[in-house]
Amino acid sequence: MNCQQRKSLSAVCAALLGCAVLLLISKNVRGESLVPDNFDNQGGKIFAAQQTTPPANLEADSGGRTLARFYSLRQYPGSPPQIPHEVDLSFSGTETDCLSCHVKGGYSTEFAAYAPVTPHPENTLCYQCHAPIETEALFVETQWKSIQPPRLGQSFLSSSPPPVPHSLQLRENCVACHTGPGAVVEIRVSHASRGDCRQCHATVVQSAPLSEFERK
Amino acid sequence: MPIFSYLAMPREGAREDLCTELSNLEYCQIIPAENKEIVVLVTDTPDEDIERSLQLKLKNLTSLQSLSLAFGYDEQD
Amino acid sequence: MRLDRRQFIKQAAISSAFATAGALFPGISFGGWSSLAQNSGMISWQKSPCRFCGTGCGVLVGVSDGRAVAVKGDPNCSVNKGLCCMKGYHSVQALYGKDRLTKAMVRKNGSLVEVPIQEALDLIAQKLQETKDKHGKDSVAMYGSGQWTIPDGYVASKLFKGCLGTNNVEANARLCMASAVTGFMTSFGLDEPMGCYEDIDHANVFVTWGNNMAEMHPVLFSRMLAQRKRKVDVKIIDFATRYTRTSQAADKTIIFKPQTDLAVANAICYEIIRNDWVNSNFVNEHVSFHKGKTNIGYGTEDHFVFNDKAEPMSFDDFKVFLEDYTPEKVEKLSGVPAKDIKYLASLYGDPSVKVTSFWCMGMNQHTRGTWINNLVYNIHLLVGKISTPGNSPFSLTGQPSACGTVREVGTLTHKLPHGVVMNEQDREMAADIWDVPVENIDPKPSYHTVEMFRALDRGDIKFIWIQVTNPMVTMPNLIRYRDGALKDDRFVVVSDVYPTPTTDVADVILPAAMWIEQEGMYGNSERRTQHFAQIVDPPGEAMSDTWQIIEVARRLGFEKQFPWDESDYIEKIWEEYRRFHAGPKHEMAPYSVLTQRSGVQWPFVNGKETRWRFNPKYDPACTNGKEYDFYGKKDNRAWIWARPYEPAAESPDSEYNFWLNTGRVLEHWHTGSMTRRVPVLHNAVPSSYVELHPEDAAELGVVNGERVKIISRRGEITMPAQINGRGVPVRGMVFVPFFDESYLINEVTLDAFCPISKQPDYKKCAVRLEKA
Repeated sequence: MNCQQRKSLSAVCAALLGCAVLLLISKNVRGESLVPDNFDNQGGKIFAAQQTTPPANLEADSGGRTLARFYSLRQYPGSPPQIPHEVDLSFSGTETDCLSCHVKGGYSTEFAAYAPVTPHPENTLCYQCHAPIETEALFVETQWKSIQPPRLGQSFLSSSPPPVPHSLQLRENCVACHTGPGAVVEIRVSHASRGDCRQCHATVVQSAPLSEFERK
Repeated sequence: MPIFSYLAMPREGAREDLCTELSNLEYCQIIPAENKEIVVLVTDTPDEDIERSLQLKLKNLTSLQSLSLAFGYDEQD
Repeated sequence: MRLDRRQFIKQAAISSAFATAGALFPGISFGGWSSLAQNSGMISWQKSPCRFCGTGCGVLVGVSDGRAVAVKGDPNCSVNKGLCCMKGYHSVQALYGKDRLTKAMVRKNGSLVEVPIQEALDLIAQKLQETKDKHGKDSVAMYGSGQWTIPDGYVASKLFKGCLGTNNVEANARLCMASAVTGFMTSFGLDEPMGCYEDIDHANVFVTWGNNMAEMHPVLFSRMLAQRKRKVDVKIIDFATRYTRTSQAADKTIIFKPQTDLAVANAICYEIIRNDWVNSNFVNEHVSFHKGKTNIGYGTEDHFVFNDKAEPMSFDDFKVFLEDYTPEKVEKLSGVPAKDIKYLASLYGDPSVKVTSFWCMGMNQHTRGTWINNLVYNIHLLVGKISTPGNSPFSLTGQPSACGTVREVGTLTHKLPHGVVMNEQDREMAADIWDVPVENIDPKPSYHTVEMFRALDRGDIKFIWIQVTNPMVTMPNLIRYRDGALKDDRFVVVSDVYPTPTTDVADVILPAAMWIEQEGMYGNSERRTQHFAQIVDPPGEAMSDTWQIIEVARRLGFEKQFPWDESDYIEKIWEEYRRFHAGPKHEMAPYSVLTQRSGVQWPFVNGKETRWRFNPKYDPACTNGKEYDFYGKKDNRAWIWARPYEPAAESPDSEYNFWLNTGRVLEHWHTGSMTRRVPVLHNAVPSSYVELHPEDAAELGVVNGERVKIISRRGEITMPAQINGRGVPVRGMVFVPFFDESYLINEVTLDAFCPISKQPDYKKCAVRLEKA
């Protein structure tokens, strides 16, 4: 496939996916509802995503992304990942571009992979945080050291669901990153059809370990 | 299908690096000690070739001081 | 757990690495991993109901080397089908807090000292006998709980009502379920829901009445979400006084002003009638209309007495009564737009829609709790949506055996295991089964819970034995009742598993076996009796609450009534208790069936469980040959009640200008004495807080985490503010979870109660706020 063909194909994909996105967004809006959207770590997003994502997209697995790859695009756990693929120089990074693939996910023939789903599609100026990679070379060597990423499976009992090991800011929607074929295999859940993630997974957002409960 | 467990000792001050490097390797699981500069490493590889290449990778880790075998198992079938 | 071979080998590899490390570096620790590695790695699984809420999830407890080490959902249990919530998954950790009570303690010269448990039991029996001899039988009392196992409650009732002859037996379920009971009794003549959780798999519309199910009944809420996902046109309507996780998930949230649910429910009935949505066949055949007394008071004064009187009325009278409740009038009172009231009515009224209503504390902890229960039944009865799959007015419970022990065994002052103390035949039946003279059983009820603690304060009660509950956190208007319990000649015995504010006021503390450290049964919200075997040993001298009572009963000379052997006493007690419920209306499963299954629903007749009562397709007790048989009432009809709106006991005014609402969070259960000792739950919600509306917070000048003083006419408390956290109250309301003993919010609440059910209202009192 030459460059020209590739561009036109991706434009068509973008247009098709864009329609789907608009539908998805309109279904999410609860017309006259007065429920505030900014409380409890915006947990309403989880319920909306669970209800509107087709079962196939919740359950399917591609095995295409790994945790090693996931962290290789980040400077520290929680940093905005770099954009790992080529983007057009004219690309503006607005809703109709990045989000055409990254809201709903789905297979991209262009990249022969499933697109990861963003947990925060309401932020449409993607370039604000996500940097493209023009060169791998460094200006000067860095002495930067990252912290260790959270260990997987930090369950308190061998059978218990692990608590959420990361901050929820900008990552309120569990369904986006932890389900579907675009999800990182190590953190993809096998029970995505269940409705309420926080029923079992405690949101322990403190960074320092807390002392155990003691009576005063 | 070999399974091994080791006690891994990091070079001085490189415990965090060692943990990161080991957990980024495929087929490796680590359990760092809470109060000592020791990391338990468990490897679980699908075949002899991958096992050999993993051992090579382990040998080349700069953060690793020494690796002592605690348990070894290999299914011969 | 069936580890596959490879996992098993890997586990062995980890264990041997730990062993090597331990030999080389003594004292080396691998956190939680090492304790798992020390045991053999072989886990056996045994069934039990969950220890916490009234949902009654089936869990499988993993045991290794005599310790509970893991939990998974029981796939054979139809309640939860293998899924738990985070409390259930970590429940076994609640057994192993480091301050677990393992020795009996007796207060000597003001401080608690450890004594052998037999010595403590001697002292309890001696004090009980002395107090009874000196001050009369009604000077001694037992206060238990909806966490009592069925045998616990049964032996308590047998000892106090049957042997000692006092009706001073109450349980904390008075604080959470009493209005549900009186609601059922007044509307149907029989307690407990007609439907079951399977209704969730059939309903098209769910209405949660003041009920944050996403946090408080998360497993059932997930079943609702799954139903909505599976089918088209399933709706969840959240009818609430504050925004919660349930609002986040609901298709529509309708906010009403506290206490005005009474008016909205009547307005829904008004609309159903106005639009001709009444199911006339059903109403003509199966419903009768009644009214009771009005302007019934709030019980805030000592010795308050109220007896309702039912008067029959016609459907036309009922229509006239409803004319005060047009949606437009009710909009002004409730703040609910008339169009939303009409929308709710249209959901209930549409014959093609199956509606399940859920409620719990919002409707029960209400000074008109019995009334609002009646009113929701009114709606379902007018449209005939009841007792069929998916059409279900469903009263949920909050404790694992509020139904099983308190409601079915009848550990309330007026109740017996079958019937009430006021009824001569019921007393005769109890005397016969208990092997006591019938004169022993006092025909007059004594003190309900609030009045019991008032009597303790006044000195009418001098000896109280508290088991499996923490009233020094949960009593409303707490300061009075704590001061009362601390008075000089009051003798307070507390059986518990951890030190709590209640053990702080105790003269004797008995260490109790907890949950699976003993054999027992619970009964959940859907008439399901759930047996659990003793799975692990209790620590130290800890003893089951049942056996503690048996020990004391024998010391008081009641060997004949308490003859059982420790090896099979639970089975023997169950088979004795079962005799009270013989017959198709309430037949309980035999012991041998209970031990085999993950819960059995009663009535259990001819080997079959009953899913929907009052419907002859499912209920063998129906005999009238009609489509339904409401056999609980003498007229074989369900009763619709004309119940008006009356204001709350205390509403905000110019001086105390905020509503105070109290409640719970997903992570913690009740007073947190167990869940706060589970690391993951404590880490998630380490302390309580006061939720404010963002604009109220701005006016007060507080930001997240800053301290706010909450002041009522009873007391005051200073605690951190939470803004846009777990929930958002409306303007003019604050919300405080009560799990945290460091912030005793019940020092601020009011001890007003429903005059019919005697259940206090923890959801409404007036406070003012100051920035601290």
